[in-house]
Amino acid sequence: MGSYVRTRALTSSSEPLDHDEELRTSICCLCNGGCGIKISLDQEGKIKAVFGDPENPYNKGKICSKPMEIAQTLYGPYRVRYPMKKVNGTFERISWDEALDLIAQKYNQYIKENGTGSIVGITSKIGGSYSKLAHGIFSELTGLVNYGTGPICTDSEANVRKKLFGDGSGTSPLSDVVNSKILLIVGNNTAQTKAGQFHWITEAKRRGTRVVVIDTRFTETAQAADLFIQIRPGTDAALGMALLNYVIKNGLYDPTFVSKHTNGFEKLVQDVSTFTTKRAEEITGVPQNVIEKLAQDLATLKPGMLFEGRGIVCVNNAGASLWAFEGLMAILGNIGKPGSGIISHINNTGGISNLIQPNDVMKPDRKRSSSALYKDMEEGDVKMVLISGNPCATWPDSARMSKAIEGLDFVVSHTLVMDDSAVLADIVLPATHWLEEAGAQPSVHRVLQWKNKTVEIRGEEKSGGDFYRLLAERMGLNSSYFPDSSESAWELERKHNKNVTGISRERMLATPGGVHFPCSEIGKENVRLFANGVFKTSSGKVELTGVSDAPLDYVDTFDAPGNNGLSREEFPYLFSTNKVASHYHTECQYSDWANEMEQPYVEMHPLTALEIGVKEGDKVRVETVAGSIVLAAKITQSVPRGFLSTQPYFGLQSPYRQAPANTLFPVATDPVGGNLISKNIMCNAKAEGGQGS
Amino acid sequence: MSQHAMLVDESRCIGCKSCTVACKQENGLQTGDWWLRVWRREQLKDHLVRYYNTQSCRHCADPVCQAVCPVGAIQRGEDGLVIQDDAKCLGCHVCVTSCPHNAMRIMTNGKVGKCTLCSHRLARGKEPACVSVCPVNSRVYGEREELLLEANKRLSELRTKGLRVHLEGTEKEQTAVMYLLVT
Repeated sequence: MGSYVRTRALTSSSEPLDHDEELRTSICCLCNGGCGIKISLDQEGKIKAVFGDPENPYNKGKICSKPMEIAQTLYGPYRVRYPMKKVNGTFERISWDEALDLIAQKYNQYIKENGTGSIVGITSKIGGSYSKLAHGIFSELTGLVNYGTGPICTDSEANVRKKLFGDGSGTSPLSDVVNSKILLIVGNNTAQTKAGQFHWITEAKRRGTRVVVIDTRFTETAQAADLFIQIRPGTDAALGMALLNYVIKNGLYDPTFVSKHTNGFEKLVQDVSTFTTKRAEEITGVPQNVIEKLAQDLATLKPGMLFEGRGIVCVNNAGASLWAFEGLMAILGNIGKPGSGIISHINNTGGISNLIQPNDVMKPDRKRSSSALYKDMEEGDVKMVLISGNPCATWPDSARMSKAIEGLDFVVSHTLVMDDSAVLADIVLPATHWLEEAGAQPSVHRVLQWKNKTVEIRGEEKSGGDFYRLLAERMGLNSSYFPDSSESAWELERKHNKNVTGISRERMLATPGGVHFPCSEIGKENVRLFANGVFKTSSGKVELTGVSDAPLDYVDTFDAPGNNGLSREEFPYLFSTNKVASHYHTECQYSDWANEMEQPYVEMHPLTALEIGVKEGDKVRVETVAGSIVLAAKITQSVPRGFLSTQPYFGLQSPYRQAPANTLFPVATDPVGGNLISKNIMCNAKAEGGQGS
Repeated sequence: MSQHAMLVDESRCIGCKSCTVACKQENGLQTGDWWLRVWRREQLKDHLVRYYNTQSCRHCADPVCQAVCPVGAIQRGEDGLVIQDDAKCLGCHVCVTSCPHNAMRIMTNGKVGKCTLCSHRLARGKEPACVSVCPVNSRVYGEREELLLEANKRLSELRTKGLRVHLEGTEKEQTAVMYLLVT
């Protein structure tokens, strides 16, 4: 071995940050955790560093890696800075004027020739409160039908809850958990997905809240819990129904709450009557005594809370699980009181009303379900799509979605980065990042926090608020409805949405942590919903069996949409996705740090790896009825045998150059709740490239 | 003088890696370089035991790296911080091989880099960056004596719950960064 003494100098490997006294305050708009952040800018006004805001009572200065990563994506090479038009397959820079004229002309033409239903919006990343409002106004004026985050994330959860309680939002703030005696976390790895707010749960646990986690994977949340119940994938409804049945049969529910505040109890009793804990054990793999003990704990430890996650929402039998668990909380009387209720990142502040004059409203001439959208795009019923988001990576059967979008007449992508969807567009428009736009941000604590604009744009980026106003002008619509700034948008919103009337910008800025909503003119905050026992259903009561005309019923995941009819021999495993702390949707992956922290892999049990014939890091081809992708094996005992899981991010245009996991999911819908499925699909897996047997 | 120290509580870590990113941000490390890392560890006993193990300089009271460095680039100060002088470093990597905690890393520029316990932040009265972000207080900074009390409190709480835990860095092989480890 020769001498390899390196000469001094080269460059220094580190450069510590200088002290910065003038930090700017903002709110992280990634996971709806609503963490307060502090931003340090360099002399050019670019973000140098992101810290936690110690003054924010919800995160107390603590943050996860995501807001730090975001600063890198703002200035990275993937960022779109100016409008572009595709000419002969390559993008050419154009002006906003040219882009808007072209879009307006096409838009009006399609409305005239093909009807309003020939244009749809796929708009999961529309922007902050200003952009959301303008987009809402624009949709009312044009009859634009939008597919937001709902179909791929929240539809089942919001629909089931709306039918039960009359409101799709979570009923209680996460911070209420310190007042609860038991917290039931189902299919939710909140330690990774809301790491910055996870201290509320660990703090509650230290104060005596019993934290129970039900999941298929041994998650980081499970690791921190008092009790982890590992359940077979897709069998949560069976557990929920057995809990209901046991609680009912043993008289462990709250009879006063049931008689005063619910409808349909008798029918619910009937629906779950055959679901003994014995039967649930056979289905779920959870021992009978564990189920019974959990039911007893839920009955004695009150108040109690429920925090569901995508693990039971984005599955093919989601409706029944959500119905069972939320119904369980209701009959236990765990709604409306401090330390009780359902925690959710769905926190709708409610829509605006009476803003648009009836004669200016244009109704869509046709509507279609999210699953029918694919076919209608393929068959030419849809001519034009307005995209803000990345459906070619985030929607199921991503390859089919990409092909469908590519085949459309006219595609506009209003985007932060050149992602898998933007490359297929005819017009690409640069969007502002949430740090470049002021607005009111709701959080999992059911508060609204105001954030000022933190950094200036460096190109020609425009917010959704500006884009939709300018487009409406060009299209000859009544653009006087539109606000022209984040501030005026909020004033308009307060005037037309009684849920936020009492929440002024000044009040949000003056209140550390923000203001709880709903909050009427009088200014009284509502920390949790239904404190008065009046529900938003037409009867004013919890409709225990109002979710569906059919009874609450358990459907095996193998017999549910997507898997139904497939051969177990051909597809012996189940494939699923789970999120990690370094990523948020496809937004953070353009950061170097995110790339260093996380590389794509597929988790599998050692025995599954043995069956397939792969070792750690070997390439595995995962195949489903929808397609196949190749991932590196990560061997872990955290998942059960026969269950494979990866992260739902990436994209062939992302720095990872990895086909997205959603490629593997066929277009299928949870029949009760309406979510497109993105978990628990039957698959096969084999060693790629001649390894294994 | 009163000594400051850091406590790393493995039992609380949720593996979010915020500390790693905060360290990179605060110290301006190049892509591919790191001073602090989080590793997942799994053991199958009668049940699955999994925890996250963080790895960074422990600032030993008697640092081997200082003893072996041929040019005296590594010095332990009176404040207990073991600081490596990048300008003096030859890049011979002897310290990398000798470090018992595997905490001296070869940087992409060929020299060695290591945690400074964010001495520049300490000088301004702030905690190290990794501590400032940790969402579950798995990393705590403070007076050594107070941290020892806190560590012992956490140890007894965890033992009551049946966990097997111990504290490293207090006895003979004293370090400024103490580890509460799950075994």
